[in-house]
Amino acid sequence: MAKRITVDPVTRIEGHLRIDVEVDGGKVQKAWSSGQMFRGIETILLGRDPRDAWLFTQRFCGVCTTVHAIASVRAVENALDLEIPMNAQYIRNLIVAAHAMHDHIVHFYQLSALDWVDVVSALKADPAKTAALAESLSPWPHNNRLELAGVQEKLKSFVDAGQLGIFANGYWGHSAMKLSPEVNLLAVSHYLQALEYQRKVNQVVAILGAKTPNIQNLAVGGVANAINLDNEATLNMNKLYMVKDILDEMGAFIEQVYFVDVCAIAGMYPEWLGYGAGVTNYLAVPDFPLDGKGTKFDMPGGTIFNGDLANVREIKTFNDQYFKENVTESIAHAWYDGDWTKHPYDEDTVPKYTKFDDSKKYSWVKAPRFQGKVMQVGPLAEVLVAYALGHEPTKRWAGKTLATAGAVAKTTLTPAALHSTLGRHAARMIRTAVISELALKHWKLLADNIGKGDTTIFNQPVFPKGEQRGFGFHEAPRGTLSHWVVIENGKIKNYQAVVPSTWNAGPRDEKNQPGPYEASLVGNPVADAERPLEVLRTVHSFDPCLACAIHTLDPEGREIARVKAL
Amino acid sequence: MPIPKVRVLGLGNVLMGDDAVGPWVIEELLANWEFPEGVEVVDVGTPGLDLVPYVADADTILIVDTVRSDGPPGTIRSYSKEQLLARPAQPRLSPHDPGLTEVLFALTLAGAAPRDVVLIGVVPGSVEMGVGLSSAVQEAVPRAAAMAVERLRGLNLAPRRRASPARTAPWWEEPAALAST
Repeated sequence: MAKRITVDPVTRIEGHLRIDVEVDGGKVQKAWSSGQMFRGIETILLGRDPRDAWLFTQRFCGVCTTVHAIASVRAVENALDLEIPMNAQYIRNLIVAAHAMHDHIVHFYQLSALDWVDVVSALKADPAKTAALAESLSPWPHNNRLELAGVQEKLKSFVDAGQLGIFANGYWGHSAMKLSPEVNLLAVSHYLQALEYQRKVNQVVAILGAKTPNIQNLAVGGVANAINLDNEATLNMNKLYMVKDILDEMGAFIEQVYFVDVCAIAGMYPEWLGYGAGVTNYLAVPDFPLDGKGTKFDMPGGTIFNGDLANVREIKTFNDQYFKENVTESIAHAWYDGDWTKHPYDEDTVPKYTKFDDSKKYSWVKAPRFQGKVMQVGPLAEVLVAYALGHEPTKRWAGKTLATAGAVAKTTLTPAALHSTLGRHAARMIRTAVISELALKHWKLLADNIGKGDTTIFNQPVFPKGEQRGFGFHEAPRGTLSHWVVIENGKIKNYQAVVPSTWNAGPRDEKNQPGPYEASLVGNPVADAERPLEVLRTVHSFDPCLACAIHTLDPEGREIARVKAL
Repeated sequence: MPIPKVRVLGLGNVLMGDDAVGPWVIEELLANWEFPEGVEVVDVGTPGLDLVPYVADADTILIVDTVRSDGPPGTIRSYSKEQLLARPAQPRLSPHDPGLTEVLFALTLAGAAPRDVVLIGVVPGSVEMGVGLSSAVQEAVPRAAAMAVERLRGLNLAPRRRASPARTAPWWEEPAALAST
């Protein structure tokens, strides 16, 4: 008989995502994804100055601050047809690159590795054997026996003190955990090193953005980083070289640690290269612009339908009509008043909460569609589109990844393996490696441009009377993000953000087509309904990130009441 | 003696009503006080694991945030590091969920945890979407700021009061001009 499992962290913490699955015969038959909190932050922007919008949009979310700031200034610049100086473009690109590396490393090590790594098992590992294994995989200097024994010692004192709470989502001892104690110890050691490296790369965002989270250096029309190579207070040679040193160090960590770990896990859990595909329509937008207007990019974007890489269609510019005209959102199954499917410029956000009814309305998340089709967004979409378009660094890193993971699994892997739960992790790592190369390239472009004597950072925006419409997109760590703004007489008249997790976590639409999370869970095995680790593996592979809003601390540990949404 | 590293951090979302109290207290502190070397005062928003760089390798962390606790809105309670770590971190689905507790656990394991942590917690009234504090929580802002100043005095890192406030209202409080017709 079918059994219903609800993964709803709302009763324990302010979770924003609820997943319901129906399991029969040890497999998921049906799934529903529900955003559990109203997110109508766009309404705060109505009537405000479009030049300030980015300050507010970067507070939508506490983790993805930078990306909403970038998409917002791009949207307003698009509405004004405003070109920005090259220095501004490169500085933004460097911030975007550093943020993405940071975000992807945190996701893999701190947020999802424990779906695959059994922490407690690491206590049984032999550090010498672990070091020998590690040295056979990578030249990384911090995989030696002494450092690994030190990590094991620390972990032991942690476990002895009953402090395993940090790994509370780890299902240690679960039958789906398959790594040897040695591999588990190596992973725990890299978990700790990743904490250090995510801090390091965030310094790039802090140096260029003045602060992180919530950068302060943006402006509609450019950036606010005054450039003077000899002045302590501005962007100078010293700061530029601090950025370069960090980018070099990140490149080594990504190649010698992150790449190796993802290949090893993919190779040791090859069956998870078979589960979790779901929707194989993909959407990605181009990013890392190479000119002031956004007509040439270092990372391509486009669409793929039904996993058919041969018929990829490219999205080419910041003003791409194919993208602009084909995005809609449906509220057929979302808690808003009405039953419409509309273009973002024409939407409204009128909440109307009813109960959770999976045949009617069951989520605060709208269902975005492209040409009426469900699209998966995120690193996998970006990597597949770039691969299909022949993007050299993507093809090189994807090839290396498939070969290395295939060698561990003792099989031959093709790009088709990427349509899967572990394929999403692999794609995220491939994207991180490509971005770490692009970051160094754009660092050089910036340094060369400044070297030529160009210190321009800003073009003044001018708001004409009447109405302007604009959209700005950004290929963010979780995928395609777009902001849509309508300006009237210099004030914001309408604002909509179509965010990556809306594309992926959205509910069914008016045609009852399930969203990407929902589709990807169907067919997943579930060994133990009480501990649905496999469901978490697939959901986590998307890097879910919904509506950051309230996070009130609960130091006294009482039961948290469900946040009653309107 | 080396200068201790002390960080005063305001947590919260400025777009969610009383959840803005942490950032508000930071604005209040920066507007009225000058801080000695070694003290950083930062509005960090709702950073999840991005809190790590602000907490790592510090001597003392003073956090201002909303808390769920008894008492009417505007009630202020302090918590120690031991109290914060007494409860294990919780399972989570999204990267927003790991909070202060998880950051402290991770840094303890990594050997980079701050020696001391103090949470100055304010009980919120409304945390619905919107800009602006309820009057009870607004009234708690100077009291919470004074508590932070007092803690710094106790660490021999007393700030100096400015002759006149450096600014009057945080950027998010600027009224939205009504859309012209």
